[in-house]
Amino acid sequence: MSIQLRRAARALATFAATALAVSFANAQAVKVGVIGPFSGPFAHYGTLFKAGAEAYVASQGGKLAGQSIEFIWRDEGGPNPANTKTLAQELIVNDKVDYLAGFVFTPNAFAVAPLIQESKTPTVIFNAATSDITTKSEYYVRTSYTLWQVTVPIAQHAATKGIRKVVTAVTDYAPGVDAETAFKAEFSKQGGQVVESIRMPIKTTDFAPFAQRIKASGAQAAYVFLPGGPPNLGFIKAYNENGLKAAGVEFLGTAETDEFDLQKFGDAAIGLQTAFHYSAAHDSDANRNFVDALAKQNKEAVANYASVGAWDGMAVIHKMIEATAGKRDGAKAIAAAKMLAWESPRGPVKIDSATRHIVQNVYLRTVEKGPGGMLINKEVQNFGPQPDHGLVKN
Amino acid sequence: MHATVLTFDAPTRSRALLPYAVLLGLGAAVYWLFPGQLPLATRIAIMAIFVMSLDLVVGYAGLATLGHSALYGVGAYATGIFASHISGDPLLGLAVGALAGAAIAGLSGLFLLRYDGLTFLMLTIAVSQILQNLASKLRDWTGGDDGLTGFTIKPVLGLASFDMFGRTAFVYCGVVLLVSLFVMRRLMASPFGLACVGIHQNRRRMDAIGANVRGQLLRLYAIAGAFAGIAGALSAQVNQIVGLDSLGFELSAEALVMLVLGGTGTLLGAIAGSAVFMTIHHVASALNPYHWLFIIGGLLVLVVLVPRQRLLAQVKRRVAGFPNVRGASASKQVA
Amino acid sequence: MQQLANIFIDGVSYGMVLFVIAVGLSVTMGLMRFVNLAHGAFAMTGGYIAAWLVRDHGFGYASGVLVALLATAALGALLELVVLRRLYRRSELEQVLFTIGLSFLFVATANLLAGPQVQLLPLPPALSGSVDLGVRTLPAHRMLVLGCGIAVLLLSIHVMARSRFGVWLRATVDNTSAASALGIPVQLVYVLTFAAGAALAALGGILGAELMPLEPYYPIKYLVLVLVVVAVGGLGSIPGSFAAALVLGTVETTSKYLASEYGSLFFFAAVALLLAWRPQGLLRARG
Repeated sequence: MSIQLRRAARALATFAATALAVSFANAQAVKVGVIGPFSGPFAHYGTLFKAGAEAYVASQGGKLAGQSIEFIWRDEGGPNPANTKTLAQELIVNDKVDYLAGFVFTPNAFAVAPLIQESKTPTVIFNAATSDITTKSEYYVRTSYTLWQVTVPIAQHAATKGIRKVVTAVTDYAPGVDAETAFKAEFSKQGGQVVESIRMPIKTTDFAPFAQRIKASGAQAAYVFLPGGPPNLGFIKAYNENGLKAAGVEFLGTAETDEFDLQKFGDAAIGLQTAFHYSAAHDSDANRNFVDALAKQNKEAVANYASVGAWDGMAVIHKMIEATAGKRDGAKAIAAAKMLAWESPRGPVKIDSATRHIVQNVYLRTVEKGPGGMLINKEVQNFGPQPDHGLVKN
Repeated sequence: MHATVLTFDAPTRSRALLPYAVLLGLGAAVYWLFPGQLPLATRIAIMAIFVMSLDLVVGYAGLATLGHSALYGVGAYATGIFASHISGDPLLGLAVGALAGAAIAGLSGLFLLRYDGLTFLMLTIAVSQILQNLASKLRDWTGGDDGLTGFTIKPVLGLASFDMFGRTAFVYCGVVLLVSLFVMRRLMASPFGLACVGIHQNRRRMDAIGANVRGQLLRLYAIAGAFAGIAGALSAQVNQIVGLDSLGFELSAEALVMLVLGGTGTLLGAIAGSAVFMTIHHVASALNPYHWLFIIGGLLVLVVLVPRQRLLAQVKRRVAGFPNVRGASASKQVA
Repeated sequence: MQQLANIFIDGVSYGMVLFVIAVGLSVTMGLMRFVNLAHGAFAMTGGYIAAWLVRDHGFGYASGVLVALLATAALGALLELVVLRRLYRRSELEQVLFTIGLSFLFVATANLLAGPQVQLLPLPPALSGSVDLGVRTLPAHRMLVLGCGIAVLLLSIHVMARSRFGVWLRATVDNTSAASALGIPVQLVYVLTFAAGAALAALGGILGAELMPLEPYYPIKYLVLVLVVVAVGGLGSIPGSFAAALVLGTVETTSKYLASEYGSLFFFAAVALLLAWRPQGLLRARG
């Protein structure tokens, strides 16, 4: 018994010594806690966040502003605010992270607001797209997009094209409702009419009824919002199978032709128009640089709004580290972040100092067959820099 | 499941206090030695209360349910709405949560308890899904899938405010856990509790000897609902957000898994199961979230294939160095 | 009028998909009294194998599907022989937990082997188009599902009522020891029935893949849906599952046409009402 005890004690001591040594080695690193979904049905977001963030650090030579970066990855799973709050608390209090980042789901982003406010931890949102989030704490910065931001331009575009009647079909959850509100507001302002507003339950698998409703509404175009993943596939299939394309109902969307799912749609997707802030086919050196760096980091990773959100998020963190010389100073970091403007793989961007949300170009894209036979979102028009219209209005 | 064999030797005072002492000891250890684990420990405490309330229904009354999250979620939303519109006092909020949970349990129980077996199981799922869809629809009250936020909770008893380090939250939830355990144990050791166990063992005989089976079960279900509502209320107060996941199927299923891991019909098993499951989940997630399901899947398969009594007996033999003197390890105490 | 026709056509079409996916569970749960929550895992396995064969190995659609069905049946038989038959006498709760654990293992394995992406099962050109029904069009694969659903229904009724295996099965389910005493190979009946249930699950997964895409999380995602169809239809009653699937499918479709902001509320309300009205199952199945 005592021999075993001695052996156990020795093992424990070795372990403790190693842990101490490792922690000393990393004591100088800037710690970034990234909360994203790494398991469950949204796990691909986690992979993309990881690829985008690590690719950025690698592209800068492994250090940001001279500081080495330590990532701590935590799994938010699905929308589970209580769990996310615990994770954030541990990251802030135990791991003493300098920055928080990530967040796919809005309730999870909301949950950490009191924590980051109290601890003054700058938090960069890589994805969660509800306008309100950044108002909940001064320490949020967002490098993704909001529904208002990308919907207002497409509503204006529809009006310019001479479309008078539109039917909206959105997934019935907060971002979908945001999208519907944004479209209705702007399209009506432009003199158009939204003849019907269809809400599609989030667990829908069979989209045929909704395709039929769109057909029956008599609208010239359908503005659609879907959450990404299997529902997008299901809807596009239903759209074609029920003859909407053939009946001349135009498809207007935003993130539906996301590069992650795009190839699965096949030729059925050709011609679909969307307004969005990032296309992997964007013609710029910054973008080619990003796509290459991403492929080098993880060849399975797709260049899309999630990976570019992480990439640009790390760019913001880079500048914040620079401004604070690697020390933990939340207020200074945020003050610096508010002044940022740079050339991102999406195009020229800046952080709005009032809302701390990214101001970026929104493009009109059409799905086409690109070089090599793969489907791409080809940018055909640039709507110019768009702020978060959702916050500007309120 | 092996029938709960009751042993009627009255436990000595010290034996009865043992669980509380252990819990207090563990709590103190976490508070002083592992303060970084306070958020996790708080979540375990909240879940333990929820799983104990599930134990009342599944373990004692023998009704397998996969809709228990309905009672938890209703308690959470009620407390959140109460805090948003009326008062942020935490103890009042607890009462509101308990009442809401009990009320929904009572109402749904009137309908549900007419059935048993698979029908009951499916109906509990249906009820919780109806409530979840309703909560999603009533966006103005519940915040929809964004979650209910924007309410603040006042300091407990006017003294301890909820801080970022989670100290207040931990002590608050820990105390509620101990009190809940005490109340539930006393309840289940009382004639009321024994009648529920009787119904589990042989419903027809209980009916034959004149017990009001339906009324008894309804009362038990409502009490379980109250405790589930308390757990939900705690979650709302500690996290200051209530999400639609608190009414979800996954929560009900996870709670059932935790209960079975720890052992049904003992209340302490509920606490142990919650602690084990959540700790493993937490550690596995941090190590490699992609493969967490391998671990939990494997654990479930093992737990069912290897009967716990045999496993426990083996463990006891290794650790204690002598065979288990108490003999029939299948006996479970109800007190 | 058009809308009524739409509701009817889409409702029946969706209901048939539900039936095809749920019928295997009705067999295992009802006929074998075994709470098999790993049903979705077999559906997913069938779908994955078919997708892999057709997409990556040049199998034709029909042959790929056939091989997938056989492979899944074999897997089901193997699991039954090695592990599941020890659980027949255990409590329902233990069966629930074991099969949920099994589902988790399947999910994790699928994720490990094929990644988190949706697996596409390419349809042959004959099934990719739409069929003109006069009032409107319907995708061709929905017609296939309709046909298969009816075929499964008729075949299962015939097997149960007329064939020797059906007699053996009914006897085994009613009274295992008596059946065994009469010389019926009870163990064989169990293995074959479970294998059949697994094959039906695989068929459901393959045919339903257009609506319920094949991804690692499949078994858990659609578990509740499949369970309620079987429960409402009555355990072990294939005609019951058929009726339940059609009714519930129509309720869900109607709700999508008329009140989609309520999500699945009406679906579950219908489930609750139907179960309350007929706890033993819609068509009063063998208790």
